[in-house]
Amino acid sequence: MSHLSLDQLIELRELGSEPGRDTAQAHLQQCGVCRAEAERLDQRVARLRALPTPRPSRSRFLETRAAFVRSRRKSYVQRGGVVGLALAASLVLAVGLREGRSPLGETAPVAQADSELAEVMARSRDLENAIRLYDPESRILDGRTAGITLRLEDQLSAVDRQLEMLSTLGQLHTSRRHEQLRLWRERVGLLDALMDVHLTRASFAGL
Amino acid sequence: MDLYQLAKEETLVPLAKRGDPAAQEAIYRAFETPVYGLARRICRTREDAEDVMQETFLEVFKSLPRFRGDGSLWGWIRRIASSKALMRLRRNKYRDTDELEPEVGGGPKENPALRMDLEAALERLSDTARAVVWLHDVEGYTHDEIAKMMDRSVSFSKSQLARAHARLRRWLGEEVVA
Repeated sequence: MSHLSLDQLIELRELGSEPGRDTAQAHLQQCGVCRAEAERLDQRVARLRALPTPRPSRSRFLETRAAFVRSRRKSYVQRGGVVGLALAASLVLAVGLREGRSPLGETAPVAQADSELAEVMARSRDLENAIRLYDPESRILDGRTAGITLRLEDQLSAVDRQLEMLSTLGQLHTSRRHEQLRLWRERVGLLDALMDVHLTRASFAGL
Repeated sequence: MDLYQLAKEETLVPLAKRGDPAAQEAIYRAFETPVYGLARRICRTREDAEDVMQETFLEVFKSLPRFRGDGSLWGWIRRIASSKALMRLRRNKYRDTDELEPEVGGGPKENPALRMDLEAALERLSDTARAVVWLHDVEGYTHDEIAKMMDRSVSFSKSQLARAHARLRRWLGEEVVA
């Protein structure tokens, strides 16, 4: 039998029972040349495994976490989360306006709050659209910007969760309606800040 | 037993599944070096490896709720990292042929000073061959697993490995002169 090919020697390192394996194994036991070749193969693999592990030059945790929060919020928006919240609030408003009073029968102060709520929600929607058009996901963020956007997006998620909880309570008592207005305002503030961060970064970068 | 493990895995993983930032950071810190190392060995550039690392952990954080813990956490993360690195190779299509034979004179026996070191020889392999060598010989994947990840046949994986070893043997000056 001639010497084993490299393919055969590699095959012998695997677990398995391919045809001809026993014959090749028997040859290896007897042939010094093939044994030496097999040893060189083993050594080469051992050297590959012993190569040092390259290390990243810097941590990208903040960017990764920011991308995760952004994707989670995006999927929440796509599932209709924010739209749902706005719709729930709009329905309450519509009922109140059609009946010429606020939904719970309160008068001027609540009606004013309702009107403010409609404005704030519209502003929130505009900002959300503007950020979507800006498409921050396709842009590379430096660590500092990523940290700031991460904090803002985390806060936005928290506000959305609170708004979601309020919307599950059905018709809102006056205090809850004010709480709703406060949360929508906070949401607009956070979206404003987020837009600022992106635009400021863009102007620094000359984009 | 896995080379890379996460301390307090049983408490951190459930927290990370709920999106807890501290738990996510602990997972990131525990595995960033092996993930980057794997990506760097497969990808051609440092920048690509860093992108693969970020894509891997983003996928890990998103998919953790579906991690059932049947296997090890590192095994699960490593599979994601390998897939992402191979996807990056396919997307970039850097180079899929080996570089020309290095100029090592009349053969290694004649001029041992010109033998390549292993790192350089590995770099010189085609992207596909290098990926197969690394995934098989170092990470321990079977040809069947590699074939699935690469969307190729088992025999393709086997032939890539054999050809790669033939080249490494020559470039490292290990060829037996009859």
